Amino acid sequence: MKGLRAAFESLGDIILFAAETVAWVFRPPWRSELVLQQMAVIGVGSTFIVAVTGLFAGMVLALQGNYAMRQFGAEGYVGGFVAISLVRELGPVFTGLMVTGRSGSAITTELGTMRVTEQIDAMETMAVNAVHYLVVPRVVAATVMMPILAVVFSGMGYLGGYLIADYVSLIPPGPFIEHTRTMLDIHDIFHGLLKALVFGTVVSLIATHRGYSASGGARGVGEATTLSVVMSSVAILVLDYVITFLAIG
Amino acid sequence: MATIVVRDLWKAFGEKEVLRGIDLSVEQGRTFVVLGASGSGKTVLLKHVIGLLKPDRGTVEVGGLDMSRLQGPALTEARQMFGMVFQGAALFDSMTVFDNVAFPLREKQRRLPFAELRERVVQSLRVVDLGEDVLDLWPAELSGGMKKRVALARALVADPKVVLYDEPTTGLDPITTDSVDQMINNAKERRGVTSMVISHDIASAFRVADRLAVLNDGRIAAQGSPEEVRRSSDSYVQRFLSLWFEKQ
Repeated sequence: MKGLRAAFESLGDIILFAAETVAWVFRPPWRSELVLQQMAVIGVGSTFIVAVTGLFAGMVLALQGNYAMRQFGAEGYVGGFVAISLVRELGPVFTGLMVTGRSGSAITTELGTMRVTEQIDAMETMAVNAVHYLVVPRVVAATVMMPILAVVFSGMGYLGGYLIADYVSLIPPGPFIEHTRTMLDIHDIFHGLLKALVFGTVVSLIATHRGYSASGGARGVGEATTLSVVMSSVAILVLDYVITFLAIG
Repeated sequence: MATIVVRDLWKAFGEKEVLRGIDLSVEQGRTFVVLGASGSGKTVLLKHVIGLLKPDRGTVEVGGLDMSRLQGPALTEARQMFGMVFQGAALFDSMTVFDNVAFPLREKQRRLPFAELRERVVQSLRVVDLGEDVLDLWPAELSGGMKKRVALARALVADPKVVLYDEPTTGLDPITTDSVDQMINNAKERRGVTSMVISHDIASAFRVADRLAVLNDGRIAAQGSPEEVRRSSDSYVQRFLSLWFEKQ
């Protein structure tokens, strides 16, 4: 009962924090240089790891798809299966999890350290709102970059699937690409991009909120970082289900 | 005219009452020192003055603005009149010394030409006896005393009307302590700033204070000019000060 209450209090805190963040997004001064800096850290910095995991995820999908569909003589559909799985599901979810591990944890640690060493208090005393200066650029950057990274993941995954289909499973390129064209439509792409956008916002809000409200020295920062990664990972999987359910019922 | 007026200030964290009815006022252009042992509520009092904490009861007025009620952009705006030196310096460790000191200026005057910005940063560092050679250093490369001086330069660079000092001399050697005391006095005399200093360093407190208060267990045990506080009949104040005066 006590745990449930704490969970609801924590959720309420994050919702209030999100509302404050959104309110500051639309207030000047605009700090575009900080947003670009964070886009480089969160987005460009994660591109390599997202590309590599995407490549291997696509290769595995092609192998598994071929293994399952061969039994029905439907190997040609592997291309469509790989593309839909990546674009609608694995792209946004895996990208969200990779960004959580790489950037979400770093954001919580950085802001948490700033909080416990009074750097955030110092910023506030200099007439600078810390949510405006520290949180808004990170949330905006993550929201913009997550869909782009999901596209990178899916693109590399499709390439990996194509290579496996062509060189290992010996599926002709023609049916692989043709079935992708017929099975994948624009709604699947919007569906995946919407998920990535939501994950970007939620992951960055959780990461910044945990860091911003950290207390208790180095140990407190460590606990905040662990909690940030756990909460973000769970939130991605829960929201993935909710969005999928709302989209296809 | 009083710049800072604290009336009946109460604050508790959970069951623990940290401030229990504080009343004090600081005249414009004067230095007010709050002395007290560790855990007596000094830093909590200072954080109320700049609106980092909200009281359970009572008010804190600075320059006619009620810091205990202001929120959001109005609070941010009100803080433009402050500079604050934190106990642990609180320098931004992701910025160089130059960017740290330039930070309040950049935020206050966003269109300030770089040459002028640099000149004001260098001037501010010169006041605390630091040269241009430290501009590109990172906070992690500075000694404790240098960090305090950079923090002081950062607090003064945007010409604040009120400067708050949280334990400015703690952990410093006697020579650096003396120079920090001089800097506090210089800021008052040359720039006319109103200062509030939180400290348990009695020697330093008597060097810089126009008025003093001794805080004990969340209450003010004595308040007045340094001489009046020294002659206070309060037993805690007597014991707190006697240890140091006997050493002299």
